[in-house]
Amino acid sequence: MLEILAQTGFNALYAASYISLVAVGLVLIFGVMGVVNFAHGELFMAGAYAVVALYADLHMPFLVAVGIGLAFVGLLGLLMERALFRPLRDNPLGGLVASIGFLMILQSLAVMGFGVRMEHIPPVTQDVIAFSEKVRLPVARLYVIIAAVVLLSALWFFLKRTRFGWALRASAQDPEAAALQGISINQTARIAMFIGAGLAGVAGALTAPLVSVNPFMGHSVIITAFIVIIVGGVGSLEGAIIASVAYAFIHTVVTTFWDGVLADIVGLMLMLIVLIVRPTGLMGSADRA
Amino acid sequence: MLLELRDIAVNYGQVSALRRLSMSVPDGAIVTIIGGNGAGKTTTLRAMSGLAKLAAGEILFEGERIDTLPADRIVARGIAHVPEGRRIFPDMTVEENLRTGAFLRRDKAGVESDLDKVYHRFPRLKERRTQRAQTMSGGEQQMLAIGRALMARPKLLLMDEPSMGLAPVIVEEIARIIEEINADGVPVVLVEQNAGLALDLASHAYVLETGNLALEGPAHELHDNEHVRAAYLGV
Repeated sequence: MLEILAQTGFNALYAASYISLVAVGLVLIFGVMGVVNFAHGELFMAGAYAVVALYADLHMPFLVAVGIGLAFVGLLGLLMERALFRPLRDNPLGGLVASIGFLMILQSLAVMGFGVRMEHIPPVTQDVIAFSEKVRLPVARLYVIIAAVVLLSALWFFLKRTRFGWALRASAQDPEAAALQGISINQTARIAMFIGAGLAGVAGALTAPLVSVNPFMGHSVIITAFIVIIVGGVGSLEGAIIASVAYAFIHTVVTTFWDGVLADIVGLMLMLIVLIVRPTGLMGSADRA
Repeated sequence: MLLELRDIAVNYGQVSALRRLSMSVPDGAIVTIIGGNGAGKTTTLRAMSGLAKLAAGEILFEGERIDTLPADRIVARGIAHVPEGRRIFPDMTVEENLRTGAFLRRDKAGVESDLDKVYHRFPRLKERRTQRAQTMSGGEQQMLAIGRALMARPKLLLMDEPSMGLAPVIVEEIARIIEEINADGVPVVLVEQNAGLALDLASHAYVLETGNLALEGPAHELHDNEHVRAAYLGV
């Protein structure tokens, strides 16, 4: 029993790592810009295909491919901000619909470029840390965990300690009051989109050798997205980060012990409970809900 | 003139909120805008700070047009706005709120000395500097909103209903603070429903009624004006 718990703990830690990277980016975008980015799963997918192209096909070093993937998807985020969300800023539903369109464009591009087959990516490392017969942690997974911890810590430091991090938090809490402090909404929107998209891209890139990469792999992200945004609430970026990490962990534990469908149900139930008990979300403030 | 509004009009959709308003704020003065609910007082301030776009007219600050600039560029010119309802950042600490007010400033030493000044002026903010802003009382939040605006080291301070919802003793304290800030050389545009307070503080006053300028003049004259006394001072 103890061994199963330990193994589940590792599995949960791994899955929570990349899901939180995706979810945190999503809540960052929602918090600062007020739009639900439906294409977020496809940004994750784009990061994975960056690794397919650069690492599997062109044989670049894995970390270089991941780095380029982060930058490439971050730039996709900047493109979305400029072309879709900025013109539609006063129309949150418009931003949502435009992001659904962008989702389809990215999916089609992936199909056109790579076909609908599952991609086979050579493993980065086959090493396994064996704690016992039944408790084993593949090193490739450990890398994902380390990367997530480093990136999320860096994001936390950025939000808490830097001038632009404060600007992002202020914009998320009250965009108009933030503008009255001299904070440019266009600038915070760009920063949020670059970081949010980049984190989704890096999550896709890091996990590409461990999952089945295909043009439709972003689908499962959407439900997660909704739950995390609602549970995390509006306004507090730090709260949203905590909520997304917690959700990712719970979801993975349920998936490991039972199955993924039940995990989705549990996730949605948790969301309903939060909505009943705290309609503004765990960390949200009432004046923006 | 430090600030000049020339025939400005503001619409919200089809609704006209402000029609052909002209006013001017001389350097060093406290100018007040009084009027009832929906008279256009808040809209006038929002036009000055760039939150409301003009349908007609122009706004000049230090002789240059600012009505075409976005709000964050107007702050850079030196206009700070304490908005209606205080609008502090609820999940940030008191000190983070204050430092956010200095977002555009690069003179670190100046920011630190201004922070000291704000803490000196509002000792309660210093006591609560690491506390989340939303946990404070209304009066403390108002002081935080004022302190945050001062952190921009503004050339002109816009204040929207600083007395709203506060106990009379706190209102008196806010009034004293406004006088102090002005005595330190910062001109103030004060929007108030509490017309008695506003006319006591200001040297010049504008009276708005349903989006139109009804009266203007030296504050002490308006204080004795029969219409103002009947409509706004309740005597």
